Amino acid sequence: MYGGGYIHDDQKKKTDITAEDPALLAEFEARIARGEKIEPRDWMPAEYRRQLIRMIEQHAHSEIIGALPEGTWITRAPGFRRKLALMAKVQDEVGHAQLLYSAAETLGKSREDMINDLINGKSKYSNVFNYPSKTWADVAVIGFLIDAAAIVNQVANSKGSYGPYCRALERICYEESFHLKQGHSIFVYLATGTPTQRAMVQDALNRWWQPIMHFFGPSDKMSQHTETLMRWKVKMASNDDMRQQFLNMYVPKIREVGIVIPDPNLRKNPETNMWEFTEPDWNEFYEVIKGNGPCNAERLAVRRAAEDNGAWVRAALRKADQHYVTPLA
Amino acid sequence: MFNKETLDAVRLLLLFQADDHLIIGHRNSEWTGLGPILEEDIAFSSIAQDKIGHALGLYSILNENLGEADPDTLAFMRNETDFTSSHLVELPIGEYDFSLVRHLFFDLAAHIRFEDLATSAFDPVAKLARKVKGEIKYHVFHANTFIKQLGHGSEESKARLQSAINQNFGLALGMFESFEGEQLLIDQGIYKGEAAIREAWLGEVQAVLLEAGLKMPDASKVEPVLGGRKGFHTEYLQPLLDEMTEVFRVDPAAEW
Amino acid sequence: MKIKSLDPRVSRLELDAVDKQPDAVLKPEEHWETYQVFHQRKRGEKHSSVGIVHAPSAEMALVFAKEQYGRRGETVNMWIVNTRDVLAMDYDDYDVFATTPDKMYRDPAGYKVNDKIAEFKKSNLHV
Repeated sequence: MYGGGYIHDDQKKKTDITAEDPALLAEFEARIARGEKIEPRDWMPAEYRRQLIRMIEQHAHSEIIGALPEGTWITRAPGFRRKLALMAKVQDEVGHAQLLYSAAETLGKSREDMINDLINGKSKYSNVFNYPSKTWADVAVIGFLIDAAAIVNQVANSKGSYGPYCRALERICYEESFHLKQGHSIFVYLATGTPTQRAMVQDALNRWWQPIMHFFGPSDKMSQHTETLMRWKVKMASNDDMRQQFLNMYVPKIREVGIVIPDPNLRKNPETNMWEFTEPDWNEFYEVIKGNGPCNAERLAVRRAAEDNGAWVRAALRKADQHYVTPLA
Repeated sequence: MFNKETLDAVRLLLLFQADDHLIIGHRNSEWTGLGPILEEDIAFSSIAQDKIGHALGLYSILNENLGEADPDTLAFMRNETDFTSSHLVELPIGEYDFSLVRHLFFDLAAHIRFEDLATSAFDPVAKLARKVKGEIKYHVFHANTFIKQLGHGSEESKARLQSAINQNFGLALGMFESFEGEQLLIDQGIYKGEAAIREAWLGEVQAVLLEAGLKMPDASKVEPVLGGRKGFHTEYLQPLLDEMTEVFRVDPAAEW
Repeated sequence: MKIKSLDPRVSRLELDAVDKQPDAVLKPEEHWETYQVFHQRKRGEKHSSVGIVHAPSAEMALVFAKEQYGRRGETVNMWIVNTRDVLAMDYDDYDVFATTPDKMYRDPAGYKVNDKIAEFKKSNLHV
């Protein structure tokens, strides 16, 4: 699911593009400009490699951590149909993490190092998963709207320049569309259901609306250094464009079943054709990135426990002559 | 057509298996997102989904052919004492050694049962058994591969598996609790009966454990843990049901 | 202090709340090696490369690949190859193929005689 629209970047780690061989750099950029893909063992600028690892790794972390707030409800899903669907959905998130870690591995960072950096906090994941999922209706809102937001982002990224990431996203987008459908189905059943069910889903949307508005990251006016990434087709769409696209597609789908979006200022300006909304609290956004969200500590502790508890299984199965090589594609 | 006594025995057989599959599927689904490695997380989740699917298939037969309530009502609205699950499937997931050993015990039994039911004179269950044959084959392949490779793994993995096997053998034997009317099923070619399933199961478990370098407990010296089929359960079933039905029971008449 | 969670599964894990997680939880190569997975959708079609799995052995790789690459749609067969056993070319050596499309003498399109035949038909030699 969830290629978090916003990708955290530590600017101190930026490498200097001017140090690259100008001829190789020109050839590399020309290839991308022609619409050709970059493949794993191609020459690439160090900054391109770093940015891609950062982006794909954070996407992978978002999938594996994203499996937790929804996994919460697997044991409580009401009825066979919902139980099976949610199990398959959360399983897909784990599957997506596997595909994305594999794509990032082709760039030379091992899966073990990526997971270590997830757990020790050096690498981030989408902020939305640091919020608790309190009721069954949260499964509806996550599956419907956060997966929808992720699809907007991932469809854009699937046209990027790095072959393995595009290939992974192609499959992921297909599976996400199942997630969106199942989320939307729960959302509609609750919204058109009993007063209790309606209240549940309204309450869930009220709690999730701000994290959803955070999802694509701050306005492009506030963020920096995206020009090179756009030229390299690492970043494929601006935060504002993606947010507008999301609002265009999904605000009507929320409103058509009588659920109220908790922002009195949300409206489409007929002159500019752009959505206007109350700016979400960006201080909270940065606080959550720093690790101070309601569930950051729990999410990392759970991920660590899963790795710790599996250690004996992995160690026991490991062959003495094992020798890891970088995967091909 | 089968007479009422026979159909009552079929009802019990299907209910036992449906309940066992539902509860073990539910338990195994708790590993989703928490498995020992991503690839296994995915594989084990599929197995859990299949078990829930098999439970649904069995409840559907009870509903459509034997006049019981619909599957959701059977699974989400019955009281604890109406459940007929064996104690083995009720226990919490514990560590992966326990979950894997339980998976081996359960799936070897499921494999033998469904293979027998595939030729059952009770047609609806024969159809279901033939349909899910490949799924169970994969479950057994998964269990056997893990047990064999861990059995030949580290000192720790051998010790963990062996103690999980020893500690839970009596619980596993509890899956084969005999029930009223069983003989009618045997006589009419509907099912070969718990004693025969148990015999075949002992043989299959022994073969896997032998290949895995693990010791087979002496079944004649282990007391089977019975009672589940009669509605007597472990302390773990009620909390499981409370959790499973938490949302459904908010409004059982609502569409979720 | 134990983590209090809304997730009953997490509560059952009884995790300690810690301020900071350790730098490294996983050791190098703890997730084993990788195997390339080849998937065949239908009889008569070719196997195609679909991705990798991490696994400790080929047999286990197959157990994993079945669900990671075959849990939707149609599948009739899969192959597993240890990544170590694949000899892959460098993209830099692409130039060995660069002139291949120019070798028209290997191509049916390289043989055009219709003009010749038409010319011959118009000529006196044609009876």
